[in-house]
Amino acid sequence: MNWLETFKTVFSLALIYATLRGSVSIVFAGMGEMINERAGVLNIGIEGIMLMGALAAALGSYFSGSPWIGLLMAAIVGIVIGLIFAFIAITLKSVQAIAGLAIFLLAAGLSGFILQVIFQHGGNTPTVPTLPMVRSEFLESIPIIGPIFNNQSILLFPALLLPVLIWFFLYRTPWGTWLRAAGENPQALAVVGINPITVRYLATLAGAMLHGIGGAYLSISQTSLFSENMVAGRGFIALAAVIFGNAKPRPVFFACLFFAFMDALQISLQTAVPENIIPREIFMALPYILTLLLLAGFIKRTGGPADIGNPYNREAR
Amino acid sequence: MQKIKNFFIKQQPLFVVLIALMLSLVAIGLLLVATNRNPFAALYYFLRGSFGNLYNTADTLTRMIPLAIAGVAFLIGAQSGVFNVGIEGQLLLGAMASAIVGYIVKLPAVIHLPLMLLAGCLAGGLYALIAAWLKAYRGINEILSTIMLNYPAFFFTHFLVLRVIKNEGIVPATPFIQKTAELPILIANTKLHAGLIIVVLVSIATYWFLQKTTLGYEMRAVGKNKEAARYHGIPVEKRMVLSFFLSGAVAGLAGAVEIAGMHHHFLDQFSPGYGYDAITVAMVALLNPFGVLISGTLFGGLKTGIMDMSVYAQIPRQLATLINGIVVLFIAGKSMIESSYVRIFKGREHVFETGKEKKQ
Repeated sequence: MNWLETFKTVFSLALIYATLRGSVSIVFAGMGEMINERAGVLNIGIEGIMLMGALAAALGSYFSGSPWIGLLMAAIVGIVIGLIFAFIAITLKSVQAIAGLAIFLLAAGLSGFILQVIFQHGGNTPTVPTLPMVRSEFLESIPIIGPIFNNQSILLFPALLLPVLIWFFLYRTPWGTWLRAAGENPQALAVVGINPITVRYLATLAGAMLHGIGGAYLSISQTSLFSENMVAGRGFIALAAVIFGNAKPRPVFFACLFFAFMDALQISLQTAVPENIIPREIFMALPYILTLLLLAGFIKRTGGPADIGNPYNREAR
Repeated sequence: MQKIKNFFIKQQPLFVVLIALMLSLVAIGLLLVATNRNPFAALYYFLRGSFGNLYNTADTLTRMIPLAIAGVAFLIGAQSGVFNVGIEGQLLLGAMASAIVGYIVKLPAVIHLPLMLLAGCLAGGLYALIAAWLKAYRGINEILSTIMLNYPAFFFTHFLVLRVIKNEGIVPATPFIQKTAELPILIANTKLHAGLIIVVLVSIATYWFLQKTTLGYEMRAVGKNKEAARYHGIPVEKRMVLSFFLSGAVAGLAGAVEIAGMHHHFLDQFSPGYGYDAITVAMVALLNPFGVLISGTLFGGLKTGIMDMSVYAQIPRQLATLINGIVVLFIAGKSMIESSYVRIFKGREHVFETGKEKKQ
C-alpha cells in the first residue's frame, strides 16, 4: 500500500467535515453536562438520557411524520428523565453517582423494551424522516468552507452557537451567577434569598433537555433510525470532555470537538488502512484508550465547581 | 410489641431493600399493564421458568454463579469506597486469559484448573489497576474510567477471537479448553457445575477478609470515611488500589469460571452484561458477601425465567435489563423509604436522622 496516498485520503477536508458532523451530539451533551456540573450536580446518566432522547426522537418522527415533532419529543423526554434524576439526586440526596448509574441502566433497558413493545422486534426502528440538511450552491462554491459546512445537519449551527450563548448566560447574567453559586457555595446563595434547590433543579432539567437533543441528533439527523445502544459511549465521552474543560464553555467545546475528531479519524483510518495491516478493532478501541490516556496525562485539574457532587442540606453549615 | 418494633428497627436496611424490591415489582407490574400484558401471568411464568422443575432450578443456579461472583467483585470495591463499574471488561479479559491457558497449557487437572482460574484473576485484577491508578493518583472519577475501559476490553477480546486464536465454526470462538481445565458437572443432565462451590468459597473468603483481617478493616475504613482513615495512619491510596485489584481479580474469576464450567471456550460476546447486572446484585445484597448468593439467585432466575415469560406471556426479553434499572433506581432513592420506615417504627421525631449526609 502507498502510505502517502493513505495519508492524503485520511487527512482531507472530508475529515473536518466528518468531525463537525460527529461533534453535534457530543457538543449538546457536553454543554448540558457543563450546566449540570456548574450548578453542583454530577450527572453520570447522560448516556441514558441521550439514548432515551434518540428513541423519543425516532418515535416522534416516525408516528407524526415530522422530524421536528421528534426533536420536541426528545427534549421533553430528556426533561422528564432529568426530573427523575433530579428528584433522586437533589431532593432525596442520594449519592449522585449512583443516581446517574441508575438512570443509565434504566434507559438501557427501557429503550429496548419500548422498541420491542412497539415494533414487535428488537434491534432498530424502521427508517424515520430526518431533519433537513443545510445545502446551498453558494456555500458549496466557497473553497475550504464549502466542503466543510455544506450538506451538514441543521442542528450543527445551534451546536456551534450554544457554547457562546451558555458563556453569556453563565458569566453575563444574574441567573448565571446564581447557577454558578449553587455549584460553588449553595449556603451563600441561600443567604441572599435564592433557593439552591430550585436552581439545581432548573439546571439539571436544562442540561437533561440538551442531552435529549444530543441523542435526537443521532437518530433523526446523523442516521435515520434508532438502534439499541446507538449512543455507544458518547455520553461518557461528553462527561470526559467536561472534565478536560474544567466545566468552562470554551475549553469544554474544544474538548468535544477534539473527541469528535478522534472518532472521525478512527472511522477514516478504518476504511483507508487495509484490514490485514491493522485490524478494525484496534481503531474502534482507539477513542476510548486515547480519552483515558489524556485523562491520565492531565495532571493539574484546577477546578470544577467546589460543591459538586454534594447534596445541598439546609441544616448543614 | 416493643420487641417486634426493635426487631424492625434493627433490621432496617434489610427491610428497606425488601420494600424497594416490592416497589420495583409494582412498578414493573404497572408497566406491563400499561403495555397490555398480564403481570400475574408474567409472574407465574417467571416462577415456573426459573424454579419450576429441577432442570430450570439448576439452570437458575448456573446463572447465579457468574452474577454472584461478579457481585462480590463489585461489593469489595464498594465497601472500600470505589465504584468499579468496569467489571464487564475485567470479566471478559479474565475469561479470555483463562480460555487461553485452558487451551494451550497441558497439565494434570489438579494443577491445570487452579492455574486457569488464577490466570483469569490476574488478567482481571491487572486490568482494574489502570482505573485504580487513575483514581488514587490522578483524581479521575472511577465510574467514568471503568466504563471507558469496558470498551477496549470488549474490542480486544473480539479481535483475538476473530483473528488470532479462532476456532473453525459459525460462531466466533476460541478453541475448546482441555478436559483437565473443565469444572465438573454437579447434577447429571443439567448445566450446573462446580462453580457453585467456588461461589460459596469466594463469599466465605471475602467475608473473612473484609471482616476479620486488618487489611480488610482498613479498606472498609477508607470506604466509610477517607479523611478519618488517613488520620488513623491508613495509607488510603494504597488501600484503594488494593481493593480495585481484588475487585478486578474476582471479576476476572467470574469470567474464568464461566469458561471452565459453562462454555468451555471463549464465545464472542458470551456475557449478557453480567458486569452491569453485578451492580444490581451487590446493591440488593446490601454489599454483603453472603447476600449476593440470594440476590444472585433472584437475578439468575430472572435470566432463565424471562425465556418462558417471553414465549408464553409475550413479555419482551429486554424486561430483564429494564428490571435492573428500576431496582437500582429504587435503591438509589431509598432514603424516601427510609424516612417513612423510621416514622412508622421509631416515631416522628427521628425522621430527620435519615437522609442527612455529612459534608465532606
